[in-house]
Amino acid sequence: MTGKLVLAILLTAAGLALAPTPGRAAGILRFGQNAADIGSLDPHFATGTQDRSLVDMVFNGLVRYKPGDGSVFEPDLAPSLPAPKTEGGKQTWTFQLRKGVQCHAADGVPAYELTSEDVVYSLQKSADKNRSAYAADYTGMTVEAPDAQTVKITLDKPLSPVLFFPKVANYSGGFIVCKRAAEKLGAAGLKTRPVGTGPFMFKSYSPQERVQLVANPAYFRGKPQLDGIDFRYMPDLSSRELALRNGQLEVINGAPDKAWVDKMKGVAAVKVDVFGVGEVAVLNLRTTAPPLDKVEVRKAIAHALDREEFQALFGRGIAENVYSPVPARFLPGGLTREELAPKGLDYPTDREKAKKLLAQAGFPNGFPLEMNTSEMTSYRVLYESMQAQLAKVGIHVNVRMVDHSTMHSLIRKDANPLVIYIAWRPNADVYLTQFFHSDSIVVTGKKPNTNFAHYDKIDDLIERARVETDAAKQVALWKQAQLRILEDMVAYPIQYQNQVYARSAAVDYGHDLVSVLALYPGITEKTRLLK
Amino acid sequence: MVRYVAQRLLFSIPVFLGVVTIVFFVVRVIPGDPATAALGDYASKEAVEALRQRMGLEAPLPVQYLRFLGDLLRGDLGVSLITGASIREQITHALPYTLELTVVAILIGSVLGIPIGVHTAIRRNRLADYVGRVLSLTGLSVPAFYLGILLILLLAIRFQWLPAVGGGGRDDLAETARHLVLPALTLGLVMTASVARLTRSAMLNVLGQDYVRTARAKGLREAVVRLRHALRSALIPIVSITGIWAVSLVGDSVTVEVVFARPGLGKMMVGAILQRDYTALQSIMVVYTAFVVAINLATDLIYGWVDPRIRH
Repeated sequence: MTGKLVLAILLTAAGLALAPTPGRAAGILRFGQNAADIGSLDPHFATGTQDRSLVDMVFNGLVRYKPGDGSVFEPDLAPSLPAPKTEGGKQTWTFQLRKGVQCHAADGVPAYELTSEDVVYSLQKSADKNRSAYAADYTGMTVEAPDAQTVKITLDKPLSPVLFFPKVANYSGGFIVCKRAAEKLGAAGLKTRPVGTGPFMFKSYSPQERVQLVANPAYFRGKPQLDGIDFRYMPDLSSRELALRNGQLEVINGAPDKAWVDKMKGVAAVKVDVFGVGEVAVLNLRTTAPPLDKVEVRKAIAHALDREEFQALFGRGIAENVYSPVPARFLPGGLTREELAPKGLDYPTDREKAKKLLAQAGFPNGFPLEMNTSEMTSYRVLYESMQAQLAKVGIHVNVRMVDHSTMHSLIRKDANPLVIYIAWRPNADVYLTQFFHSDSIVVTGKKPNTNFAHYDKIDDLIERARVETDAAKQVALWKQAQLRILEDMVAYPIQYQNQVYARSAAVDYGHDLVSVLALYPGITEKTRLLK
Repeated sequence: MVRYVAQRLLFSIPVFLGVVTIVFFVVRVIPGDPATAALGDYASKEAVEALRQRMGLEAPLPVQYLRFLGDLLRGDLGVSLITGASIREQITHALPYTLELTVVAILIGSVLGIPIGVHTAIRRNRLADYVGRVLSLTGLSVPAFYLGILLILLLAIRFQWLPAVGGGGRDDLAETARHLVLPALTLGLVMTASVARLTRSAMLNVLGQDYVRTARAKGLREAVVRLRHALRSALIPIVSITGIWAVSLVGDSVTVEVVFARPGLGKMMVGAILQRDYTALQSIMVVYTAFVVAINLATDLIYGWVDPRIRH
């Protein structure tokens, strides 16, 4: 009797378990993100890829990066890109707003038409260090609303379009929040309840599990073709991959590894996308740390390294060699190998030359170095490869592995004489200012940031380029600054690492993928699921 | 029995308090800064410092500890340092996923493991015994997360019978059950291996005892001898070790929840570690501690019930 009862229970459970999956709502795109949870959905605090991609779907900027191609600016909330004017000795940019753009409805705040009041509120929020992680980018900027449809921005120092538009584009501090909702929700509420004007509206958040978005039927570019997005937080790559193969997800973060890419390309009905923007890995050499204070030693290190060996760690296509700190592939102001090779500033691998330079500097037998790396694969393998390559010329590097945020803390305390740093920055000015302006020197700078090299020889070039409004002259100044960096060998550019995503063949993003600043493929009103 | 239960309950209190104290300080020893983790490497030093202030991380550790104990006594688990979401609500949401998983896994482990152990003991040194031993050794050697991936490849990808990841909606019983099968089977099979091995050796010990021979000599049926006389005695170490295994199952559930992207406490804990979310992490550890203390308490009580000598 008992046996029969157990059998009946087991059969019922099995039947229940193997019952067909109820159909999901048509047109919901399920996205597996490489993260444990959101960080913040307040766009002005959204710094992780998982947050940047979500806010990209919910908010707009005055202008936007063309979907799939971050090198082109397009109109967004403003129907056209303005030209700057000079008023009272100061540069001004005046934007007209599109009519009829609706802020999403939020808890207790009905949908309403976006006005210049919202834009002013939003840009002032971006400039406030207590309400934004990007406040430093908005100093010296005054925002006014002459009328409901006009926004006037006055700059203390003039900027070229290349440097100004990113401040008001759909990225970082340029996202426009809706004032009424932001005030109602407060800082804490905004973290988990984004309210913008974008193609998708927030529906729900389940901590550590998912965020659900629904299509915004009133979107000013037309109703999105998808019904919504189901954004799942899955930090484990194998889980994401298996869920994609099983048909439970349509898009996943992949691995920056050619073997993984090749494997996934072999899976039926799955497509792999490898695209920019590439985060640039640069080796920074601290010029104040003996024996690296001798330029011969720094050049010896550069000649001892081989970009091809670094590239082989990830595979061609996933990683590409880079020859200047600003990547020429994605940003104006970068230098190509062809521009540098005649001057020898591409530092071709020549280990005999490296040994001679070390001998000239008084280190014929090399020397030891101590440093720390992050446990993250993208960092760890670069440090390990550098360790093996430098050993060939007698430089013995002892690498200690720490967790990622500890590495960030340590390198900002000068713990590493050699710092490999992987980062994307939106333009040449930010790259050069943060990594090579004397104000940004770690520990001792006026505004310590990421100048690990303790370099102070190109402040003038950086500052002149920043206020140069002639695009060609500005690019020439940036290039000149980087030639100096390479001549002094304070930074050895290694490679840029592309983004890798896999998707069901049924997903059509609605645009070609060249480069996306938010480091995800970009989901817009045109993205659709094919039958 | 009542005195025994009260005694075990009282012993659990200092254990619980000791563990949560260790948890509080260990969580803060983890390298890394929540403000940096939250804002990323692009944020300026000023923005990071402003966030640290708002997170309350500037207060001295003893002050933070006393606040934590006070909040705990009031049942207040606080809010996430990163998202500001209520941790009590998050745990309330996640706990059922972990409870279902461990309870069903323990059931699978016991329901499969004990009969297999008994059977292989009775069939000692015969084919069934060899097969059982090889399988249980294999089960003990395979990490739970790896077995999970193999099961996904077979049952979710190859045959498409079951979902590969997720927890299913709480409002749909069939979906919940479907999402539970693979992770519970993964943990259950790992536990089955150890329970089967242990049951086999306990049964072998008992089957050679004089009282078993006496029972047989009295003419009792073999099934009665094995189940009522031998298995009853063998259950004492089995219960004890099953309790220990249930505790380690809680640990295994963390990796299994991550592999299956199951929104339980384990996945929540890994997320809190990655984000340096101290308040969430310590609260989850408190719940895990309560979980382990409760399992140990239950083991002690069952032990006392199975073997009355222990109560004295």
